Amino acid sequence: MVVQAFPVVGGNIPENVIDRVTQVEGVKTAVPMVVRFGYQVESVIQLVPTNISIGIPPGNWSTLVGETPLKPGGQWPTSTLDKNEVVVGPSLATQLNIASGSKITMGKRNLTVTGILDTRSALLSRAIILPIQLAQHLFYGHTMWINMIIIELETTEAREEVAKRIEEEILGLKALTAQERNEIVEPLLNDIDTWNIGLSSVLYLLSMILVMMVALINISERRRDFATLDAIGTPKRTMFRMVVTETAFIGLIGSLTGIFLGSITAIFIVSVYTEIPLALFFTDLLNFVPPLFMITILISTVIVSAIAGIISAIATLRMNVAEMLRAEY
Amino acid sequence: MIIRTHELTRTYHLGGSIIPAVNKVSVRIADASFVSILGPSGSGKTTLLNLIGLIDSPTSGTIYFDDQDVSHLTSKEQRHLRLENIGFVFQTFNLLPTLTALENVEFPLAMTKLSQDAQRTRAMQLLTKVGLAHRLHHRPGKLSTGEMQRVAIARALANNPRLILADEPTGDLDTDTGTEIIQLLFNLSRKHKTTVLVATHDKRVAEIADVTYFIQDGTISRLTGTSDN
Repeated sequence: MVVQAFPVVGGNIPENVIDRVTQVEGVKTAVPMVVRFGYQVESVIQLVPTNISIGIPPGNWSTLVGETPLKPGGQWPTSTLDKNEVVVGPSLATQLNIASGSKITMGKRNLTVTGILDTRSALLSRAIILPIQLAQHLFYGHTMWINMIIIELETTEAREEVAKRIEEEILGLKALTAQERNEIVEPLLNDIDTWNIGLSSVLYLLSMILVMMVALINISERRRDFATLDAIGTPKRTMFRMVVTETAFIGLIGSLTGIFLGSITAIFIVSVYTEIPLALFFTDLLNFVPPLFMITILISTVIVSAIAGIISAIATLRMNVAEMLRAEY
Repeated sequence: MIIRTHELTRTYHLGGSIIPAVNKVSVRIADASFVSILGPSGSGKTTLLNLIGLIDSPTSGTIYFDDQDVSHLTSKEQRHLRLENIGFVFQTFNLLPTLTALENVEFPLAMTKLSQDAQRTRAMQLLTKVGLAHRLHHRPGKLSTGEMQRVAIARALANNPRLILADEPTGDLDTDTGTEIIQLLFNLSRKHKTTVLVATHDKRVAEIADVTYFIQDGTISRLTGTSDN
């Protein structure tokens, strides 16, 4: 369970609240945290931060990272504040060319990187993990504030009751179970989904119109060829099959090219936008562009191309052969 | 008579007026003859050829092929008749640009019951006959205009048609090449006993034709020869 202050995102909690939370019936442990999201482009609203800094009491690392190890040669920061030690996620490390022992600057402090997390987690890959006191000094200038508490319950069955108790006994706090956290994020995700479906539909419709136009232009430009085929007695069904097969083939090639170029372009744009190196995306390409998605696009484009081909074929078979043979182009 | 037309008429509506492109044309074309239709541009030569070739429909009148009325056949029956009995040679060659010379000639054969090997052999024989044995695998873009017209003639002969309709076959060729093409058509006509009907304004064709018609403003008259040739 996570305890946050009002407003749920961005609110601060006095650190001494930890003692009161620990005393609430049903709470086993309470670990204070300072979480700060980093946004590279401040003038643009971003849905996803490009990095995240998390301060947590030394010794409680597993509360945050679970079993995630450090890469060989790394070690967790010591609790001594003046040592200014941090560990970073692998994506950030690659982007900033950081290794164990490297120096980085946050705020006005020079920090030493003592380890690189060995993880593929999207969150931890972009994380800077540091002792909570160091985080408090960096972000607040003193050690009075935290902005999140992770609570371990004595029994998970009682989580709703414990959350209610925390909110009743300590004003200004919001205790969120996993389900409640999802409910907060859900409208945002739904909005993103709606936009995603809307944009995809518009782009798909435009693509289909384009495929249809290409097919019709292709046939129109070759109308004398088809008129010649007609003149020499080519059966209608042969011409129909030729046009549909050709258009479907163009759709297949266009679709393959589109998937390839579209994926590359999308990844390139995200890379430029987030400053995450391009190479990191390619190692996980199939996670960004799922194979099922590719197959769906491929099949649907071929089907739509074939439909466009049928329309073109009907137009071809209806043309006036004598006029087309006379046409100058 | 392989072809006979009776008062064949084709009119076009242009603005509010009716233009008769072919006006009550009655001709008789004898089997295995070489016939030219002379006339200036816009006189109705191409329209007449299109009507005889069943790729245009007459406004009125009748076309007989082997004394059978073919002007009222269904579209499918007309296609079948064209495929088996009529070859076309166009002024602008109308070869399929993505196919080689050999493939262009093979195309009409692909719609017959011939095996693929037989199709290829026949296409190669025809291209050899028109003097293009060394250009089999060249696409039209790599051929000269004279060579393209030779490929078109080979394609027209592919299904061993009884009638070849050539619309201005020398129109896009220089004088010498044009003479060669006319001579080639004439020789093939004689050798294969194929009827050739050439629409042209090239008077050299009339010099070797068995029968020459003259067409102007859609009205036809015979200049030389008899239909019993």
